[in-house]
Amino acid sequence: MTRDKARRYPITRRGLLQGSAALGAGAALGGLMPSLSRAQDASLTMWWWGEQELPGLKAFVDDSVANYTGATVNTMLQDTAVVISQFQTAAAAGEAPDMQYFWNGIYHMESVWFGYAQPVNGLVSDDLLTATNPTLLSNYDGNVYRVGWYPIPMVWYYNKELFNKAGLNADSPPLTWDELLDACDKLKSAGIAPIGGGIQDGYWGEWYLGHALPQNLDSTGEALDLFIGDRSFREPKYHEHWTRLQELRDLGFLNKDMSSLELYPGIDLIVAGELAMGESIGTRLPADSAATGGQIGCMVMPVYGSGKMAGIPILDVQGIGISTDSENPQAAAAFLEYLHTPERLQAFWDATGWIPSNTNFDDSIIADETVRTMWQNWGLSANIPYVANLTPGQFYEQALIPAGQQVVEGTLTGEEAGDLAARVVEEWRSFNPDLVEKYQKWATDLT
Amino acid sequence: MHTSRRLTPFLFVLPLLALLAFVFGYPLVRIFEFSFKMVRGIDGPWIGVRNYELVLGQPLFWESVTHNLMLLLAIPVMVVVALLISIVLYERVQGWKIYRVVLFLPFVLAVPIIAVVLKKMFQFSGPVNQVLHWLSLDFLALDWIGSTDVALWTVILVIIWRESALGIILFLARLLSLDESLLEAARIEGANWWQRVWYVILPQMKGVIEFFVVVSIITMLAAVFAYIYMIGGGRGGPGTSTWVLELYIFNALIRTSLPGIASAVAVMVFVVSILLIFPLFAARRRAREEEMD
Repeated sequence: MTRDKARRYPITRRGLLQGSAALGAGAALGGLMPSLSRAQDASLTMWWWGEQELPGLKAFVDDSVANYTGATVNTMLQDTAVVISQFQTAAAAGEAPDMQYFWNGIYHMESVWFGYAQPVNGLVSDDLLTATNPTLLSNYDGNVYRVGWYPIPMVWYYNKELFNKAGLNADSPPLTWDELLDACDKLKSAGIAPIGGGIQDGYWGEWYLGHALPQNLDSTGEALDLFIGDRSFREPKYHEHWTRLQELRDLGFLNKDMSSLELYPGIDLIVAGELAMGESIGTRLPADSAATGGQIGCMVMPVYGSGKMAGIPILDVQGIGISTDSENPQAAAAFLEYLHTPERLQAFWDATGWIPSNTNFDDSIIADETVRTMWQNWGLSANIPYVANLTPGQFYEQALIPAGQQVVEGTLTGEEAGDLAARVVEEWRSFNPDLVEKYQKWATDLT
Repeated sequence: MHTSRRLTPFLFVLPLLALLAFVFGYPLVRIFEFSFKMVRGIDGPWIGVRNYELVLGQPLFWESVTHNLMLLLAIPVMVVVALLISIVLYERVQGWKIYRVVLFLPFVLAVPIIAVVLKKMFQFSGPVNQVLHWLSLDFLALDWIGSTDVALWTVILVIIWRESALGIILFLARLLSLDESLLEAARIEGANWWQRVWYVILPQMKGVIEFFVVVSIITMLAAVFAYIYMIGGGRGGPGTSTWVLELYIFNALIRTSLPGIASAVAVMVFVVSILLIFPLFAARRRAREEEMD
């Protein structure tokens, strides 16, 4: 196992310690013994999040820290509301942890732009970076700023039992928009709520944009053009997703209580057999599949758009980065590599019942065929990043969430939603002239 | 000698003043400072009144202000409800002490607990609408928390229900300290219930009512975040129909990384609140004087 690790990851923990020892010897000759003791007794801090969405992760982190011999690692589980602000405040004060949990896209890129995070390429091996797939959204100016930790496949659920009841082929979910409308029609005729979920807390609208906007995009960077002013949500192809949502609403296909239900209770409707289709995430699948005896299927959002990204599975990945403040980034990188050793990948699965973000993970251990197939389609095949992670916070709060809710409710048309989005983007540019420049650069990187 | 004696009390309170200045004064100064800066992280360049210009030019800010003002509509209802209930309790109806405890319960419970429970009740398929359907009142079965036209009114309803409890306790405490001989005299003179309330009770309660009104105004302008956050799905939704100034500040600070903008709005809310505190103190003084009389 150790040899495998050494072959796979050129910068190993052992190599690092050997290097440190050599440096320490040199330092000793130069009369700098304190440096030696620091290198041998590396102490690291890691602030992380994720137990909230992936129960068992804390057990994995604690176990990893306890078993790691390369350094003493102090960890802190962060509260959801302060994951970003706590890190940024600490970094601004020069007291950031060595390693920080980073959500994808803008949720960590802002910290990169502030100079609080350093590239991980060059610190961890290229092979590891590729295997953990931090996704394109971690790239900026030729560098990568996160190591992937665990994946979030963005899927559409459908209930096979309800499909069968409506006379639909449960092994062949709709692939195109017309097929979707046809399926909805049949489900509705059978007295089944065809599609929807819960949008009261707004997240459904975010997921919807993440699924639907790429259908008219040729590249990830094109989504960023919408914020820097090169393109506009007022153009029909960039608000077509809301027009399609309006169509579903106008045809009476959305569940009636969608506006007053929150995201997860909405997904529960599909699991409970009260709703036929809707958005979900892969991390729920093992439990939901088990609860329904395999009645939950996963599908990609049916295609209406003509962009190159249409119809491709979407994969988001949670990750960990290294702060600029870290006094020992090599030791931090070594710990991140340790988290991806085969033994740790297995431990991750054992603790969480979920897949670690690593293409080297042996998925034969996944007993549920639905879960394994989903991972192979979303995680190991061609996938695209989750573009909702590119949206600036102001746009997210003041356009993305409200637009989705109001289109579902029926107080906004798709076109009006596009107008609202364009107006909020203009406001965002006025409020954040400094960020617009960064977005322009980022758009070039992602195109 | 004389001067040092005058200074002595101030020296005693100096440590507390220093502590207060550190705990409240320093953040306040920083908030004022941030409101004139484009803050990124924990500081940023000075940009004059640009943050104020941006905020005042944004429709969402004014929509939030409007919602705060709409919440003020709850106050007259709260006053009337609290008055009626406290007077009925004052009449010492059987079991009034138990009712008093029950009526004060909403105020003791934390807003998030109340909001979570009520949110479930007000869901489109929730118990409230089920009861309305059962009573054949289908036209009243609204999408209480999922409709942009209704959601803010639902929040107002919940606020009235909870905040009235404070009014009941305040009013009842004042009623119990009234000189009963005046009411007895009115009764002997043939005054009916309504006349006793209007001509004897209410004039003596003017101070405590004013106090409750001013406290409630400050609540509606600067202390409804928990209601809005819990009932509005954490987003001020649906749409932006329940956005208020506190949510605006929270979003600017936490979710959109704009501490300068958040500070500018916080300064404006602070100034308005300060202006309201003067009538609050005056009302408290009047209420105290009434009780002394």
